[in-house]
Amino acid sequence: MAASSRGNLGAALAVFALLGFACCAALFIAPDEATMHAIQRIFYFHVPSAWTAFVAFLITFIANIAYLVTRKPKWDWLGVSSAEVGLAFCTVVLVTGPIWAKPVWGIWWTWDARLTSTFVLWLLYVSYLLLRTLLADPERRPVFSAIFGIFAYLDVPLVYFSIRLWRTQHPQPVILGGSGSGINAVMLRVLLLCWAALTALMILLLRERYRLERMRHETDELRFEIEGRAADREMAGKGRG
Amino acid sequence: MKNFESLFAAYMFVWAIFLVYEFTVARRVARLQAELDRLKEMVRHN
Amino acid sequence: MTTSRAAAIILAKELRAEFRTRELLNTTIVFALMVVVLFSFSFDPTSAESRRYGPGLLWIAFLFAGSLMLHPSFAREQANDTLNALRMAPVDPFAILLGKTLANFCFLLFAELLLLPIFSVLYNVSFVGVLGRLLLVLVLGTLGIVITGTVFSAVAAQARMRELLLPLLLLPVLTPLLIAAVEATIGLLGDPPELTRSWLAVLIGFDVVFLTASWLLCDHLLEE
Repeated sequence: MAASSRGNLGAALAVFALLGFACCAALFIAPDEATMHAIQRIFYFHVPSAWTAFVAFLITFIANIAYLVTRKPKWDWLGVSSAEVGLAFCTVVLVTGPIWAKPVWGIWWTWDARLTSTFVLWLLYVSYLLLRTLLADPERRPVFSAIFGIFAYLDVPLVYFSIRLWRTQHPQPVILGGSGSGINAVMLRVLLLCWAALTALMILLLRERYRLERMRHETDELRFEIEGRAADREMAGKGRG
Repeated sequence: MKNFESLFAAYMFVWAIFLVYEFTVARRVARLQAELDRLKEMVRHN
Repeated sequence: MTTSRAAAIILAKELRAEFRTRELLNTTIVFALMVVVLFSFSFDPTSAESRRYGPGLLWIAFLFAGSLMLHPSFAREQANDTLNALRMAPVDPFAILLGKTLANFCFLLFAELLLLPIFSVLYNVSFVGVLGRLLLVLVLGTLGIVITGTVFSAVAAQARMRELLLPLLLLPVLTPLLIAAVEATIGLLGDPPELTRSWLAVLIGFDVVFLTASWLLCDHLLEE
């Protein structure tokens, strides 16, 4: 037990160290951008967080389907864990977006297509988690949340496509500097480094959260068994008396 | 550096969100581990 | 019994049940009307702006009405435990879902068609000349609302706080549909009126994707 928790602590420290290194790269190694200067460095975490959130939600989608097909609880644990972790990354996107937009465009929210779509994505998975808390029956909860989870993920491409189409009809400032702006080699490498660090973080968080879910299941089973034995003893005692 | 406060705030938020999440999960895991050990002891004694 | 015949029977049952009391239809229509009127207080409804904001408000009214109307779809069954009886019948689960979806479609479309002339009068917007294309947008949009809404009402029926839960589940998922329906309607009210193919594609795509998903998942949705 002690060895595994030491291993976990080691892994956590390593991941956060990598994250710290990626931060330094984004803040000091990456070259200065021509129009926005310093504030543009938010990009190195804003964009990869969105990509990581997508991966996390994809894992939830696959887990939901796997649960419905196999009905093995571990897929339900993976589904909820990945949704929560994905939501954390989504929150990062939604917080860094306005912080970036305010100095550059003067307003907190520009209804930029990508940011708006990410907001809807956030709402979808908040609903998913809320649904789970409201589904009391432990037999039904995984089934019905999986069904909603599948619908939510199928909606995502439709959301992104329709919002992008909508914004092209009502043009507004694009946070990421449009499709025309190229990205130089050093910037690209820093971006990929940050993405790698965030992916490592996602895996770390996912493992921890999955472990929590699995342990919850184990404690429930143990409690059930203990209560079962106590009830049996009570019945046996009554029988004799 | 122009807009330094915003840049700083953004990076602080990123760290805060991830650290808070990691710590809340880790704390719940530790607490649940203690509970799990307690329950396993109870089962063993029965 | 084939799926379509079973669905038709369930559709007929739902329609009969509703027309006996008409309580669902009445409350929904009145609520949607109130939404439309209340919205008019937030800006000057007679100005040219109403042409731009009108369609959005109209579809939001439809969406709110739909959310209210869909919830009882499965909740009513739970009260009398009739859903178990349905499940035990040798009927394809998709037939049950399809029957209910079509019933909800009829109710919602009926409410929308009643609301349309009222909206037209209150907001001084004329739909004459685009009626056919408008009907197409209405049908496709309503289909999307009821396809997802009926499935989610089955999900919400299993949970607590289901009156609040259904809109919570439904509204984020319906975002692409709302945008497409509103933009298509705005296009139809434009000068000259046109029905943009891309918005039509979004509507059709939405309906197809979620109808297929409902079909694939209906066994799990209606299981014991």
